[in-house]
Amino acid sequence: MIYPKCMVAILLIFLVLSDSAQATLGSDETSIANDQVKMKATRRIVSLSQYTTHEIQMSSGTLVREYVSAQGQVFAVAWKGPLLPDLQQILGSHFAEYGVAANSKRTRRGPVLVQKPGLVIQSGGHMRAFFGRAYIPQMLPADVTVDDIQ
Amino acid sequence: MISNENMRLWGWILALIMALAGCGGGGAGSSGGQPASTSTSSTTGQNVMPIIVDAGPAGVNAMNIPYTSVTICTPGASTCQTIDHIIVDTGSTGLRIIASVLSSSLSLKQQMSGTENLYECLQFADGYAWGSVKVADVQLGGEPIIHSLAVQIIGDPSAAAVPRGCSITGISEDSVATFGGNGIIGVGTFQQDCGSTCATTPAATGAYYTCSSLSGSSCTAVAVPLAQQIQNPVGMLSSDNNGVAITMPSVAATGSVAVSGSLIMGIGTQSNNALGSATVYEVDPTLGTLTTTFNGRSYAGSFLDSGSNALYFVDTSITQCTGSNSGFYCPTSTVQLTAANQGTNGTSGMIGFSVANADTLFGNTSYTASSGLAGTSITGGAPNFDWGFPFFFGRTVFTSIEGTSSGGVSGPYFAY
Repeated sequence: MIYPKCMVAILLIFLVLSDSAQATLGSDETSIANDQVKMKATRRIVSLSQYTTHEIQMSSGTLVREYVSAQGQVFAVAWKGPLLPDLQQILGSHFAEYGVAANSKRTRRGPVLVQKPGLVIQSGGHMRAFFGRAYIPQMLPADVTVDDIQ
Repeated sequence: MISNENMRLWGWILALIMALAGCGGGGAGSSGGQPASTSTSSTTGQNVMPIIVDAGPAGVNAMNIPYTSVTICTPGASTCQTIDHIIVDTGSTGLRIIASVLSSSLSLKQQMSGTENLYECLQFADGYAWGSVKVADVQLGGEPIIHSLAVQIIGDPSAAAVPRGCSITGISEDSVATFGGNGIIGVGTFQQDCGSTCATTPAATGAYYTCSSLSGSSCTAVAVPLAQQIQNPVGMLSSDNNGVAITMPSVAATGSVAVSGSLIMGIGTQSNNALGSATVYEVDPTLGTLTTTFNGRSYAGSFLDSGSNALYFVDTSITQCTGSNSGFYCPTSTVQLTAANQGTNGTSGMIGFSVANADTLFGNTSYTASSGLAGTSITGGAPNFDWGFPFFFGRTVFTSIEGTSSGGVSGPYFAY
C-alpha cells in the first residue's frame, strides 16, 4: 500500500447517489459524490491524520484519489490506471486550463503539465498505463507534501 | 494514388523507390517541403517500410516525428490508396487514419458490434481521437496484404458526434494538424490496443462505443472481445509478425534537417532483422514498462516510445524554457547525462544521452530532428522516464509483441 501517513481508519465503503454538479478540485467534499456518480464507480473513504482520501474505483480499473482537508476542501486529486478518468469532472473549473496546456505545445505524445502559482496539473503515460495528479499548492494542509499526492 | 487497376503492386514499387531515395512523398496529404535528407539508414526487403523524419504534413511543423507510408484498400477490391506521413509509434497499438486524407474512391466497411456501428475513443496522455472502426485491406511495405484489418478512422464526418465519456478525458486531436500526421501505425508491445480492460465491463470513460444515432448522447461504452479490438497490424501479417525493428542514423543533439531510416517488420525472421548483439529488456506484460534509474531515483513506469517527440523526464538542475517552448529544457550548452534501464528479466545497461537547448532547436526552422530534444515530466506520484524518439537515433530498437517469441525470447520486450 502507498499511504505515506498512518492509516487511522477505513470508515466506509458505500455507494452515493446524488444530483450531478461540477466538481471538484478546489471545491468542497460533497462534490466528490458527483464525481463518483459520473464515473459509475465505487468509493472508499480513508481518514488519515492530516486529511481524508476518497478512493473512486472505476470499472475500467482506473483509481481516482481525491484529497480532502480537515476543513472539507478538495486540495488534490490523483489518478492511475488503464484508461483516463473523467478529467472534466475531477478537475472541475480547472479542466479548461488543462485543455489550454494540452493545446499550446510543441510536444507530441508527451505529458501535459500546468505549473502555475495557484494550480499544478501533471498528466502522462500511455494507453493501458495512464497516471496524473493535480493540486492547489496554497490549499495543501501543513505537513502534507506534494509527494503524498499519488 | 488511386486506380482501379493493380495499385497494390504500384504501392510496393513506390515503397521501394522511397526506400532507395530516402524521401517520403506521394499519396494523400502534402509533404513537408523540407530540404533533402542528409543522413540515411536504408535497409531493403519486402519487410521494410521507409521512415522519414521531416516537417510532416502542412501545418504540423513536426520535430522528431517518424513517418512512414501505408497502403489501404477497399476490402476484397483493388482500389487502393498509399498514404504518407503515418506516425510510427511503439507506444500504441493499431492503424488509424485521419478521415480527411482518405480518398472518396475507397469504400471501407463499417465494423459492427451487434447491430450497431462500432466507434473508438483513442486516449493519449495529451488528447483523444474519436472515430469509427472500419475494415480495410492493408499493405505494409512489400508484405502480403492483410485482409479485413480493423482500422480507426479519426474525425470521420459520417461518425456519431463525440460522446461525453470521450470528450471529458482531454482535448480532441482529430485533424491532421492536431494529430501531427495523416495517421498513426501503432506497433507497440501489445497485440490489441486496449486489451482485457475493454473486453470485460465497459467503463464510464471507455475506449469502444456503439451509437444508435449520430448524436453523441446516443453512444454507450461497450465491451469488445479481444479479437474484434483494433490489432497491432504487424501481428496480423502471415510472417514477420512477432515485432518490429526501427533503425535510425545518428543525429546531432543540436539538430538536423530531415533524416530517414527504416521500420523493419519481424524480429529474427529475415537477414535484415536479427537481434544480433542487442540486449533484451523484457517489460511488464500488463503495462509495457521497464525501470529506468536516473539521478539516483528509480522510475518503474518507463517506456520506449517512438511516438513521443522528446525525452520526457525530471531533472530540476536543468534550466527549463519559458514562453512557447515551456516544458522543454533550455540549457545554455548541451548537457551530457547517463541513465540505466532494467528489464523485468533483470538485464540492465547504461545509456548516455544529451539535452540540447530547445529554443535553439525550434528556432532553426529547417531542423526536424534532434537527439537532444528533452522536456520535463511529472514530478511525483507515479513518475516515469519516457524514452521518446531522440533515443532511437543511432540505434536499432526492437519492439517485441506480447504472445510471440523471437530470438529465443518470449515477448513482450524491447531490445537495443
